[in-house]
Amino acid sequence: MSTAVGRSAPPVTRRYSAADPRVRFRDLVAAEWIKLRSLRSTWWVLGLGVLLLLLAAAQKSIGDYDVWPTFRARERADFDPMSPAFSQMSAVLLVVGSGVVGALTLVGEYATGLVRTTFTAVPARHRVVLAKIAVVTAVMLAVGAFVALSTFAVSQAILSGRGIALSLDDPGVPRVLAANALLAPLAALAGMGIGALLRHTAGTVVAVIGLLVILPMMVKPNVHQWANDLYMCLPFYDWALCLSQRHPRVNPALPTVTVSWLVFAAWAVASAAVAVAVVRRRDV
Amino acid sequence: MIEVNGLTKRYGDVVAVNDLSFTVPDGLVTGFLGPNGAGKSTTMRMILGLNRPTSGTATVDGRPFTGWRSGLHHVGALLDAGDVHPGRGARAHLSALARTNGLPSRRVGEVLEEVGLTGAARRRVGGFSLGMRQRLGIAAALLGDPPVLLFDEPVNGLDPEGVRWVRGLFRSLAAEGRTVLVSSHLMSEMEHTADRLVVVGRGELIAEETVAEFAARGGRARVTVRAPEAVRLVPFLTAAGAAVDADGPGSLTVTGLPAAEVGELAFRNHIVLHELTAHRASLEEAFMELTADRTQYRAEAAR
Repeated sequence: MSTAVGRSAPPVTRRYSAADPRVRFRDLVAAEWIKLRSLRSTWWVLGLGVLLLLLAAAQKSIGDYDVWPTFRARERADFDPMSPAFSQMSAVLLVVGSGVVGALTLVGEYATGLVRTTFTAVPARHRVVLAKIAVVTAVMLAVGAFVALSTFAVSQAILSGRGIALSLDDPGVPRVLAANALLAPLAALAGMGIGALLRHTAGTVVAVIGLLVILPMMVKPNVHQWANDLYMCLPFYDWALCLSQRHPRVNPALPTVTVSWLVFAAWAVASAAVAVAVVRRRDV
Repeated sequence: MIEVNGLTKRYGDVVAVNDLSFTVPDGLVTGFLGPNGAGKSTTMRMILGLNRPTSGTATVDGRPFTGWRSGLHHVGALLDAGDVHPGRGARAHLSALARTNGLPSRRVGEVLEEVGLTGAARRRVGGFSLGMRQRLGIAAALLGDPPVLLFDEPVNGLDPEGVRWVRGLFRSLAAEGRTVLVSSHLMSEMEHTADRLVVVGRGELIAEETVAEFAARGGRARVTVRAPEAVRLVPFLTAAGAAVDADGPGSLTVTGLPAAEVGELAFRNHIVLHELTAHRASLEEAFMELTADRTQYRAEAAR
């Protein structure tokens, strides 16, 4: 190395400090919250999504309200007043929307290159991802809870005109509402995990829809118990066949409430772990 | 100070950076030069811990960059002006960055002022020109008031006023005792900015020295001679030890003999000269000469 330099080094007056302050986790969380709320797309997706779900609940409930007088006794007995509030179609919409929002918080950074700026500011990548997970989980839990409760309120307000409305403390209602609400953070975390693996916007959206919604809707309980056990590992399958029912049928071919909750938890934890591990290991 | 030691990065069979070692000292602007594909950006990413080296180490102020807790307090980096989310406003982008390192929000206003983007603070970055994005990237690099600064091709897209501004900025950052590393594929850019040069080609170190040393080693001085009887002059020149190229009728390029001696030779032999021009070796030529055989992507030379 050459030590002779063209200009002699000027008198050094370091006006900057050489301190290495600790990066506080709550600052990282605050930064991720700034990032999420400063994108218009976040508000558009969430706002339109919630509005659509409320409209769907109202439309379906009004439909049931209208046909109720024509129902025979048998049909009335079979009717679940819980169902019009949050149909399977609504669940698909919530899962896809949440999954995409969750995926984009991570993939959006990779796709735009922002991730290099982010990791230059905070070299401990895993803490950035953990902060993202915290923000996304909190926001999507709030959205999910709002959707579950508001669609229930709208639907029951309409059905009460026929005297068939449910209240929050009716058997099974709190669990169904909790399951509906938890679909949002669960899908968002799964989206993040898939996004961390693929790091490609379009590919991630397709994978989120395929894995979280299409695949679970394609499979059906059958005579092969090993297949049924495998299907139970899909959270949307568990939601559709068990958690969304006020009185789930008891049958070894069908998931139980306990198994369903365990699968929800396992997906959330595994997705978060994948996101942290993959982001930490790969070059950016 | 940045110390790079035996740094190597392989992507499958492709060697992007090969056993690269150099030092970037405090208080000077160091130019990081090389043709496209020479491995400059890969090296910078490895210094920042974004890409993991296949072998070798890079340290920033004595520690691998990833060993520091708060990045912005140690290194300010502009790797690519496009490394922002286009949907976010300039202020929001900087606010989120500042918040990660616990920096006060007044720093955001200060750096926006410093790079001249105060008026565009609320506009979305997607609508920015390349020059404005470069300014935003420089603002982000300055946020944490860091002792070490890395800039990858920072003048791309800047207008002449902007180019002059960044040159001054780099000089004043170095004058404050900071370490400044600026990459470019244009030698002319470095002529006015850098004190020292680190030159790479095909991922390998070609030179590490002061700008003056670099200029001296590369392109040789030459003299252009125009004379109606140029042919008569040639034997005298070669006898004096010069190398002569005929550029056309009545025009010669002489290397290895100073202009004064060429003039005296002509005078003593009664040869009329119409032009006698001395060309100093330029950095550009030194650079071209040194990197000629280490250019990864090159258009076929016109014949």
